[in-house]
Amino acid sequence: MPFEQVNSKVVRARVGPASPVLARRGAMLGYSGQVTFRPVHGQGRGIGGMVGAAMSGESNPMMATEGQGEVLYGYKGLHVTVLELDGGAPLVCEADRLLVHDAALQTSVQFLGSGGIKQAIGGAMTGQGLFTTNVHGRGSVALLSHGGAFPLQLSGTQVGVDPQAYVGHVGQLTVDLAAKVGLRDVVGRGSGEAFQLRISGYGTVYVQASEQKF
Amino acid sequence: MTYPPGTPYGEPQPGPYGGQPQPGYGQPPPGYGQPPQPGYGQPPPGYGPPPPAPTGTTLNPHTLPDDDNVNPYVFCVSLAGDWFMSKGAMLAYYGDVRFEAVTEYTSVQAWVAARFSSPVYVQDWVVATGRGKVLIGDRGFDLNAYDLDAGNLTIKANNLCAFSPQLELKQSIVPGFVTLIGTGKFIASSNGPVIFVEPPFRADPDALLGWADCPSPSVHHDAQWMTQNIRGMISGALGRASGEERQYDFTGSGTILLQSSEVAREDPAVLRLVESQTQLLTNAQAGSLGQRLVARAQQQQH
Amino acid sequence: MALLTAHKRVLHADLQGDRIRAASGSMVAVEGTVDFKNAGMGGGGGMRAALKRAVAGESLSLMDCTGHGRVYLARDAMDVLVVDLAGDTLTVESEHVLAHTEQLRLDVQFAGLRGVTSGQGLATTTVTGHGQVALVSEGPVMALEVAPGQDLVVDPDAYVGSRGQLSMNLVSGVSWKSLVGEGSGEPFSLRFTGHGLVLVQSSER
Repeated sequence: MPFEQVNSKVVRARVGPASPVLARRGAMLGYSGQVTFRPVHGQGRGIGGMVGAAMSGESNPMMATEGQGEVLYGYKGLHVTVLELDGGAPLVCEADRLLVHDAALQTSVQFLGSGGIKQAIGGAMTGQGLFTTNVHGRGSVALLSHGGAFPLQLSGTQVGVDPQAYVGHVGQLTVDLAAKVGLRDVVGRGSGEAFQLRISGYGTVYVQASEQKF
Repeated sequence: MTYPPGTPYGEPQPGPYGGQPQPGYGQPPPGYGQPPQPGYGQPPPGYGPPPPAPTGTTLNPHTLPDDDNVNPYVFCVSLAGDWFMSKGAMLAYYGDVRFEAVTEYTSVQAWVAARFSSPVYVQDWVVATGRGKVLIGDRGFDLNAYDLDAGNLTIKANNLCAFSPQLELKQSIVPGFVTLIGTGKFIASSNGPVIFVEPPFRADPDALLGWADCPSPSVHHDAQWMTQNIRGMISGALGRASGEERQYDFTGSGTILLQSSEVAREDPAVLRLVESQTQLLTNAQAGSLGQRLVARAQQQQH
Repeated sequence: MALLTAHKRVLHADLQGDRIRAASGSMVAVEGTVDFKNAGMGGGGGMRAALKRAVAGESLSLMDCTGHGRVYLARDAMDVLVVDLAGDTLTVESEHVLAHTEQLRLDVQFAGLRGVTSGQGLATTTVTGHGQVALVSEGPVMALEVAPGQDLVVDPDAYVGSRGQLSMNLVSGVSWKSLVGEGSGEPFSLRFTGHGLVLVQSSER
């Protein structure tokens, strides 16, 4: 069931016996009808997902919403972007960007980037999410962003994205993590290593107008 | 009672990003193979005509609206007499306007005390007096004006920005909320546009902005959530209070106002409110409460 | 010619082999071939301006963006506004500068004592020349007209910048003093007189 975008910061989900949803904990704003909430632990299905989540810190406390009714979701005034997945390419994003999604969608944790283990460690230390969440299947998903996510369409082209501003992507895209030498000078004082995500291929990249992570 | 918000500034932006391009520069030049992005381009419906000047619409006392929104986040009060305003809500003003603390005013003007019957909040408010145009805003939140016609509306005290002196302010029995009674106008902020729903409805306390005409809410505890969470805690995962275990339950008929849950802002009145209630405690009880609070503060430091 | 276009909360900077200056760390995405290089403090006005800036506490760290392509610039999801300058001067609080085209000159102007109390630093930044400057603000900027007999009083935290022949004074009347010491509020305000435009943002944060 597609989510209804109430305004730029709130979505409404219609929950039925056959269509429960999974949402970030603390994101329920209010509801009508006979609806219950149940905390779920761990991310994704299968051992790989769980281990990956534990290792990467990509485990995001979620909850299942079941029953029959309408539920409003939003989180701390962050902007919400609703995407419809068609069962093709998965949505790749960081776990804490997920506000709510159809429970029928599967999530798993993926290692992002091909820069080798040394860079991976560097990235982990700077707090950049090198592990991301894949959302597979057919259904609705609502993503959080600070100030709204704008799409960049790629058709065989390449785009560089600040990891802090990266929200997610859908499509046949490859993501490389590159230490941007020039940027390192720029960010310099206090900001630590500057990495850039180099994304190329065919698809859509979602970027937020802010460097604020949450 | 009327609720003007929603349509004119409700920013119903269905697109992933409500682009409102600045006029005056035409289209970005072609040349980088960038197709026009969906969601960009169309100004969201409901906004007025696009500003003509590159520095936004040029406004002066004559072109500023009378008691209406300048944009979704700024309201212009056409002052001729007195208004109550939250301290810090003033962005700018034209004309001859004085601001005086409500505390100072009450001693001189008896009507102020009669209107503003909330000692807990009195320190956070001023009386604006004079003639002019006063622009008010609140943390960049959406602002809405509400017209009460012999009605009453209860609203989160932190979100109330200003009200006309014809209205009376009283503390609600729900902590952190105030009730406005009478006939007049008030301005309140919300994180994102206000969402109006009708009972029966259960609202997260952080998302609740206010309610009108319906009875005060009761607190609903989600039994399933509690048991599940306790089980979760036993199995090793950390149980966190996230709001899902407790909601305000509205019944009867009326209107409930919701906003996107906000980052908690310190409400100075809450401290005063709680402190005044500690008078109910015996000395021994007060001492043990003090110890617990110290322990909590130390825990949170780590 | 480099072109700056505001798209609500994102600035598109289209480069055609030329250069713009942008606030350090404000790049959120980039298409094409663009190099980023630290332009140091101040970004213009030379050593003397940088020194003045350091003394004044008006800090503005800029980077050079050079090449071909489009740079997406943003800061904290703030609204973006592009101002065209044709030889005139824009006075602006440095924290609101997001980017500017190469031909513009940034300099520091001492606000004197009246700046001390506003909490915005001792000095303000002036932008002069022919070109474009992009500003960020909490919510859309309102351009409020000031004319003789039409003074404007502004909360220092809502003040973004100004254009024209204006003079700024501090208002701290008796009524204001009574508010000091009672927590937040606006103990001081800025009164603008003269002829010009004052840019005000939608938040007093």
